[in-house]
Amino acid sequence: MELNWTTFVLEIINFLALLWILKRFLYRPIVQTLAERRAGIERTLAEARATEVKASAMRQQFESRLADWEQEKAAARRSFETELDAERARQMAILAKDLATERERSAAQDAHRLETQKRELAAQASTEARQFASALLARLASQELEGQLVQLFIEELAALPDERLSAVRAGQNGHGKGILTSAFALTAEQRQQLSSAIDARLGKAIALEFVVEPNLLAGARLALGAWQLDFSLVGELGIFAEASTLGR
Amino acid sequence: MEAASVVFTLGWLQITSTVVTTWGLMLVFGVGCWLATRNLSVDQPGLVQTALEGVVQSIEAAIEGVLPGRAELLLPFIGTLWLFVAVANLTGLVPELHSPTADLSTTAALAFVVFLSVHWYGIRTSGLKDYLKHYLTPSPILLPFHVLGEFSRTLALAMRLFGNIMSLEMAALLVLLVAGLLVPVPVLMLHIVEALVQAYIFGTLALIYIAGGMQSHEASESPEAPQTNDKKGSAP
Repeated sequence: MELNWTTFVLEIINFLALLWILKRFLYRPIVQTLAERRAGIERTLAEARATEVKASAMRQQFESRLADWEQEKAAARRSFETELDAERARQMAILAKDLATERERSAAQDAHRLETQKRELAAQASTEARQFASALLARLASQELEGQLVQLFIEELAALPDERLSAVRAGQNGHGKGILTSAFALTAEQRQQLSSAIDARLGKAIALEFVVEPNLLAGARLALGAWQLDFSLVGELGIFAEASTLGR
Repeated sequence: MEAASVVFTLGWLQITSTVVTTWGLMLVFGVGCWLATRNLSVDQPGLVQTALEGVVQSIEAAIEGVLPGRAELLLPFIGTLWLFVAVANLTGLVPELHSPTADLSTTAALAFVVFLSVHWYGIRTSGLKDYLKHYLTPSPILLPFHVLGEFSRTLALAMRLFGNIMSLEMAALLVLLVAGLLVPVPVLMLHIVEALVQAYIFGTLALIYIAGGMQSHEASESPEAPQTNDKKGSAP
């Protein structure tokens, strides 16, 4: 236990030197590094806070925009639904109109088809009736029926209106003699009756040429130029067929 | 325990082994700190840097606990005291070396530096007049006791460290001589613990003395103000 003053002084100097060394090479760099790190952390925290504030603002902006968008969407949906209802109503009206038109057209087509079928059936019935009548009259055609038809010819001629005879009476047909065609050969009496009736109805004497035409089946036909008075079975059947054709 | 041997002389200066060992420690501290702190990284500190930061922050926290807001001012002095005393205490574990703190000259030098620093920091903080005034509070009659306390605690600071470290080395040497090779191992473990404890005590007492000097102005202005936990002259 001895105090060496030289050591005492040198140790003081050594300690002060060590103090400078540690301050220069240990404390200052370490403290500076810690300060820089704290500053960096503070800066990072400040940036994080700024980012948080910015994110919060952006979130509020987004939420506001989202709310606006929801409102716009609701308004657009209402508008779309309104337009959709209007368009549906318009399309339904068009469809109803088209359906009505189509129904009318279909009804017209059905009516036309029915009419056509009716005409065809009528024509067919007429044809069959004419054929049947032709066949029946062909079988009924005889001398007696010829006589009855001649009498009917005379009666028909007597009942014929004067208007139809005025042109013949005036001689506008330019004929010279009349041709009286019959299915069977007429007797003299029948010829006389016919000639007298014609002369009396026309008010003048008409020279007649009697012609036999079996195709007439029965009855007689008088031709004065272009004017004819047909009262034969073929002529009646022709009138019947013509009436059927016109009735279609 | 024999006195430190003179290694060489420079004129009339006798350079003892204590001084040479201290120079060696200074060299180790200087080179080590230079190597460790030349490439410090802010973002990715290495293992050594992390350890050094831990040490520095621990010292700062200890100072901050005693003197809030003065850690930056006192860090170099108190930190150097702690580090130097701790390493100097542990130097005795190295074969053929003696702890510089086992030499009364070293501990007296350190205590003297602490004595001067107490007044230096006190005058720097309060001003000379206000600082000297606290020796007269609460009564001028107490001035001799204040002065006696200043010297006694400095003496106690030197003697405490010297006695503990010297006795530790002597005990280890005696156990080694008497009991053999492996028996002193527990004593050496005790040496480590005691060396660190003594370093902590020395630095903490220095910090408390300095805190007392820096707060003496506030204490003299308002006697009701809470006093620093000053353990003037108390033995560990």
